[in-house]
Amino acid sequence: MRLLERGARRMIRALDAAATRLFGMAHNPLHQSGTIAVAMLVVLIATGAYLVLFYRLGAPAESVAGLAADPWLGAWMRSLHRYATDVFLLAALLHMLRMFSQARSWGPRTLAWVSGLMLLGTGMVCAWTGFVMAWDSFGERLAREGGRLLDVVPIFSEPLSRIFAGDGPVPSAFFFVNLFVHIGLPLAIGAVLWLHVSHLARPVLLPPRVLSWTLVAALTLASVVMPAALGEPASAFRLASTTPTDLVVAWWLPLSERLAPAAVWALLLLLAVALLLVPRVVRRRREGSWAPSVVDPRYCTGCNQCPQDCPWEAITMVKRADDRPTLVALVDPARCVSCGICAGSCAPMGVGPPGRSGRDQLQTLRNASMTEPGPDAPFPIVAICCEQAPAAHAAALRALGAHIHPVSCIGNLHTSVIERFIRDGAAGVFIGGCPPRDCLSREGPKWLHERLFNDREAELQPRVDRRRIRVGTLAPGARGDAIALFETFVAEVASMDRPARAVGEASEPVCDPVALLDSPS
Amino acid sequence: MRAPTAQQALHGIIATVATALALVALARVSAAPVPYHSGRAALLRLSWSARPERIEVCRALSREELEEREEHMRQRVECDGRFATYDLRVTIDGKIVGESVVRGGGFRHDRSMYLLREMDIPSGKRHLQVSFTRHEKSVGDGASPASEAAAATDTGIFAGRATREVAERARRARAAVPPRLVLDTTIFVSDRRVVVITFDHERRALSIVNGTG
Repeated sequence: MRLLERGARRMIRALDAAATRLFGMAHNPLHQSGTIAVAMLVVLIATGAYLVLFYRLGAPAESVAGLAADPWLGAWMRSLHRYATDVFLLAALLHMLRMFSQARSWGPRTLAWVSGLMLLGTGMVCAWTGFVMAWDSFGERLAREGGRLLDVVPIFSEPLSRIFAGDGPVPSAFFFVNLFVHIGLPLAIGAVLWLHVSHLARPVLLPPRVLSWTLVAALTLASVVMPAALGEPASAFRLASTTPTDLVVAWWLPLSERLAPAAVWALLLLLAVALLLVPRVVRRRREGSWAPSVVDPRYCTGCNQCPQDCPWEAITMVKRADDRPTLVALVDPARCVSCGICAGSCAPMGVGPPGRSGRDQLQTLRNASMTEPGPDAPFPIVAICCEQAPAAHAAALRALGAHIHPVSCIGNLHTSVIERFIRDGAAGVFIGGCPPRDCLSREGPKWLHERLFNDREAELQPRVDRRRIRVGTLAPGARGDAIALFETFVAEVASMDRPARAVGEASEPVCDPVALLDSPS
Repeated sequence: MRAPTAQQALHGIIATVATALALVALARVSAAPVPYHSGRAALLRLSWSARPERIEVCRALSREELEEREEHMRQRVECDGRFATYDLRVTIDGKIVGESVVRGGGFRHDRSMYLLREMDIPSGKRHLQVSFTRHEKSVGDGASPASEAAAATDTGIFAGRATREVAERARRARAAVPPRLVLDTTIFVSDRRVVVITFDHERRALSIVNGTG
């Protein structure tokens, strides 16, 4: 399974790189797969609400054909509804693959994984019923296959397949039930979507406005220029040689038709069980880099910053066990994903995953020695790189003379580490994180930016020269941009005076990292 | 706002072209012509639902037997039996293409029969024979003993009930599919046509459905 995970990760990275080169990092649609799926859901509801006004249960094929023939609104509304369905399913599938490849499918994320599968499955069934509504040759084909599969399940008194046999007209009750399911399932999707994001503190449901509208405009344009094909009206007395099949929705249809219904059910069950078991199979021991955060109550001042920053609502403030008047943070290990963002949020360094708290970061720094500056570099530049970023990017920065300091996430980085680097003589600190919408910790780049430049706790101290700090993005497919940014930064830093080493200077009592390290624990 | 550089403009053009290609691909994938019935063969479809015949033996309970029962349980005619099964045979130009035994629906086979069979049929002029015959050779006569019982015991507070039961049995027998149904005809079948044969409840015979489209 890990092999699959790595393979999927390589594939996603390659796709990401290609999309970043094409659309730029800020508008890379692949980073927005989950939100694009939701945006498409909104489009589907809007266009569906219009289409249902013209749908007649007594004459489904005729009413849809009438819509398709309406050049003003009906044709492209129908096409937009159909293309949005495809994009919804593709985006949801890509989102699932991304989560799997990034090991974001187990532990505290199990609920999101399982509910995501439910969303995808419900979406598929909803799309199925939608195509049946059109009652063209493809809709009839889907309905027949559905009837064939359901007939082996002993729940209907009369075989469903007989509805389409031709010895009587297809009852409008069938189309009513189908329409009911088609309209009812999106309500279920809404409920499951709520469940899907229920563990997130600040769920992002829609893509950036520019991307949303560009996507809608592009699909609308496609709907006008290339309206979705409608097959011949369904007929029980004529065999269609081909059907205009939506392969995103019904890629499985040609295979399913060749198999016995029991075999199809068995395969479906196997697939469902395999996907549901993913969280169990890929789970890691909650130790090392996967260990949940812990709070050292001696340092917790009850400032309430870590619960605010935690993207997973894994931290709450509770009453202290001792006689101090403040509250103390408490981490729920079942919700903590070990992102370490809390460690970056805590000025007194009292919280964080074992080995990655602010104190641990400073201790690591003290133990490690910076590389000597190269002969061409007037003084050293430190590049703090997210471990999730492509290794080639870090290698390129190293080749340019940077001292590489890896961190699990730049949101985990405590600002005192940056200060410590500069006070130790680094000419500049370049921080390279993941693209904001592709951060495994969800909000790493956002919180780092706030802590560096907008005084969010634990803020970088005012005494640190901001000109010596640069935050960049190390995205697959944008190495050139990262290198260009780094080189510009190096040039800017080179024009400044060399900073003096500050070790041994008087420092502030609480927020000074050196003082904290030296304080008894 | 700075004017885009040549490289940015090139990137924009490439992104636009890529988006256009993706949309074309989406439109193609959204309505790909996937083969369904790619051959020229037609299809013969048999589809009907009908109640199977009830095979039962009825007898009138004696006065002693009736007295052993609670008053509300004193049904004077008691029938025991099962539902008939049917042999379906389809021949095209004298060659058997389908043969099966058809039973009533449900676990106890006491529900209506739902028949749906499909078989390929070569296009052209074809001699078609479909027979649907009761499998059981002899059946009990449910109506006669009941009638005798009715005549003998249809008195007192139950007056009229046995007669009604006889009428009900007769109605059920009429609603059941006849013991033997045969369709023997010659038809011209065009390419990829579906010939639907059903049981016409009014005529109580097999018939070809004249579909349109």
